[in-house]
Amino acid sequence: MTHLTMDQLLTLREPGKEPGVQGWRDHAEVCELCRAELERLDQRMARLRALPTLRPGRNRFAELQVRTRRERRWRQIRLFSLAGLGLAAAVALAVVLAPRFGAPAAPARLAEQQELDSIIASSRRLEGAIQDYNPEQRVIDGRTAVVAQSIEDKLARVDHQLQLVDLMDQRVRQQEALRLWRERVGLLNALVDVHVTRARSVGF
Amino acid sequence: MDLYRLADADAVLPRVRAGDPAAQEELYRAYEAPVYNLARRICRTAEDAEDVLQETFLEVFRSIGRFRGDGSLWGWVRTIASSKALMRLRRNKYRETDELQDDVLPLRREDTALRMDLEAALERLSPTSRAVVWLHDVEGYTHEEIAAMMQKTVSFSKSQLARAHTRLRRWLGEEVPA
Repeated sequence: MTHLTMDQLLTLREPGKEPGVQGWRDHAEVCELCRAELERLDQRMARLRALPTLRPGRNRFAELQVRTRRERRWRQIRLFSLAGLGLAAAVALAVVLAPRFGAPAAPARLAEQQELDSIIASSRRLEGAIQDYNPEQRVIDGRTAVVAQSIEDKLARVDHQLQLVDLMDQRVRQQEALRLWRERVGLLNALVDVHVTRARSVGF
Repeated sequence: MDLYRLADADAVLPRVRAGDPAAQEELYRAYEAPVYNLARRICRTAEDAEDVLQETFLEVFRSIGRFRGDGSLWGWVRTIASSKALMRLRRNKYRETDELQDDVLPLRREDTALRMDLEAALERLSPTSRAVVWLHDVEGYTHEEIAAMMQKTVSFSKSQLARAHTRLRRWLGEEVPA
């Protein structure tokens, strides 16, 4: 029998059994060259496992934390947008049902409802634009990061206020929702300026 | 048994799931070195390895809710790190020039005289071969697992390993005259 190939030697070190393995094993037991080759293979593998652990030259945990926080916040913003659709639907339902329960739906309220729908749609469009830019995966300079973070903090505050709108009296609920959604769209516009416009200016 | 352990994992993991930055740092510090080491052994540059380290922990923090604790935590983190490192290899599409040269050109005389150290020899392997060697021989993945991670066949993984060892043997001056 000819000497074992590297492929066969490696197979002898695998836990499973392939056809012919016993024949190769028998050969390795009687062939001095193949036995020596197998020993060298074992030693090489042991030396590979004994190589020193390489460590990163820089501590980038702070950067990781910033990215994690931003990703988390951005996820909340996106989730909130979906919840906002629910709120808009609830307000719309109230407007539609109001006449049946004796409260006439004033044209002003209907106009407000239309504006609310339109603003929520704008909010979703802007979020889509930011999502396409994928800010979580971009490396941004410190100044831009500070500006983006401040806007995202304000967005989180507005989102929190929007959650409380549900608890308000029906008469003021719609107006307050409209005011907060307008503010939200303004902040998202600012965020688009920070991310997308900056990306264009540096040629991403 | 885990080679690398997170002290008091039972207390730390729920806090990581809740997004506690201190707990995230504990988890990061416990596995920073082995994740970087794995990434550095697979990727060509230290910068790539640092990026893989970041991407791995972003994914770990994002997906920690899906870790049920039925396997080892290090095993779970290591699988994420391996996938990220292999994705980085695919994305960068490193040219396999070393391998090509070796196939086409006969071994230079000085190579036979020079016994390279193992670090240098490993570095000289093509990125794909190096990744297979590291994942199989050091991290202990099976050919089936490597094939799945690399989106290749089992025989691809086996042949890469055999070719890599043939080269390492030659470069390390371990060839025995028949």
